[in-house]
Amino acid sequence: MTAALQDVPAQDAPAAVRVFGLRRAYGPRVVIDRLDLTIRRGEFVALLGESGCGKTTLLRALAGLDPIDGGRIEAPKRPAVVFQEPRLLPWDSLWRNVALGLPAEGAREKAAAALAEVGLGGRLDDWPRNLSGGQAQRVALARALVQQPELLLLDEPFAALDALTRIRMHVLVKDLVARHRPGVLLVTHDVEEAIALADRILVMRGGAIAAEHRPSVPGLPAATRATLLAELGVVDDLKSA
Amino acid sequence: MSQADHTVTLALPGLAAGGSAAPARGPRVFGPRALLALSWLAPVLLVLVWEILAQTGYVTPQVLPAPSKVVRTAWRLATIGSLPHDLGTSLLRAAVGFVLGGSIAFVLGILVGFSRLAEALIDRSVQMVRAIPFLALLPLVIVWFGVGEGQKIFLVALGVAFPIYINTTLGIRQVDGKLLELGRVQGLSTWQMITRIILPGALPSILTGVRYSLATAWLALVVAETIGAQAGIGFLAMDAREFLRTDVVVLTIVIYALIGVVADSIARLLERRLLAWHPNFGGAAR
Repeated sequence: MTAALQDVPAQDAPAAVRVFGLRRAYGPRVVIDRLDLTIRRGEFVALLGESGCGKTTLLRALAGLDPIDGGRIEAPKRPAVVFQEPRLLPWDSLWRNVALGLPAEGAREKAAAALAEVGLGGRLDDWPRNLSGGQAQRVALARALVQQPELLLLDEPFAALDALTRIRMHVLVKDLVARHRPGVLLVTHDVEEAIALADRILVMRGGAIAAEHRPSVPGLPAATRATLLAELGVVDDLKSA
Repeated sequence: MSQADHTVTLALPGLAAGGSAAPARGPRVFGPRALLALSWLAPVLLVLVWEILAQTGYVTPQVLPAPSKVVRTAWRLATIGSLPHDLGTSLLRAAVGFVLGGSIAFVLGILVGFSRLAEALIDRSVQMVRAIPFLALLPLVIVWFGVGEGQKIFLVALGVAFPIYINTTLGIRQVDGKLLELGRVQGLSTWQMITRIILPGALPSILTGVRYSLATAWLALVVAETIGAQAGIGFLAMDAREFLRTDVVVLTIVIYALIGVVADSIARLLERRLLAWHPNFGGAAR
């Protein structure tokens, strides 16, 4: 836990991903327009924005799941992704799920270690259907981390969880990221979550990064929170109502 | 049996329907054991009434022999008669036809499921042939193969092919796109995508096809064997009809039914084994 605060990523850490002038359009509708972004190894970046602002589109482009219409992405060949749903293979045991995509040799041992890290060490041969929502998402997290990714993409991975489970997941994710030190991009619509986890918070609007905050370094979380809500247009709405 | 309803359905129509009792629902006045016992009440009563009517002569043996008489005939045919040989012949025909038709249909189904090109080349022809009730082809099949083993095996293979083809294609098409996306993210090769995600995902549908096709195979065999067979259960029935041996005829019907039930049980056992992970199959009482 505390490790994350001690070694805030240095400015000269190697980049986990670089994006230059990214453009993505669905027909005439431009979703991402001239977007620049750099995430360094060990840096935890949260991406906030109203729904439909293009934050998931950006994540999918970084993951190599969607094509891009312009600009350049310098990303590791295989970033790890945790989706909003756990996406476990129901026909495979937990360790086979975690080992999906690993070379066969030593896969079980690596999967066992990863499952132990997320607190499911004793359930290697259990089935996904016996898991709660939070446990399933922990397996998805283990599956992402076992790949030793340079870049970890989290697409609202805690949105479907209940409040208490979500807080436990926050602690776990922060801990795991501090230990493995990938660059992290967390897409979320939850301001509290962004403040709790991120070294740097980006607000996306109009297809580009509109604002940037560093909640963990100096400022007050409360001030950051108010600013963020204003930037997301939430506070204005409340005042005018 | 209509050819138009070979879609994915877990209910098994046709011959083996007697084997699949619907799970009991509603208020639990009776426990599961009591309900199981109750479900046997009507069939047992029916056989008893039949026995009594036959014994007292209300039903003449030429119309319907007593169940006890059928059992005695079964024992006699099994010990000193040709029943084992006939049964073996029939089972072999069914097995060969099933394996031939099933594997061809499985391969075609996989091709069409995976490739839009294969679908364009193959699917329309298959769908057109499927529109023909396969038993309507019988006269043509006899012209092609005569009344030998070829005709029987071909007919079984034909009947088996369509349910397996359709359910394999459908199963592959219905694999969750989100899991395919996951496979891409995890860097799976095409071969790994097929073996780790697509085939396991299609398996419930494929097994439904297998279960359906077992019933069709049996139906095809009954029809095929009643024409020009020199051995087999169907031959036994036709031979007995010549001599008005209704006890043997009833026996062959019972044997067809029993084998249908056994085949269905094997298919369901396969489902339970291979789909242990599936909430609708694994462990759940069915």
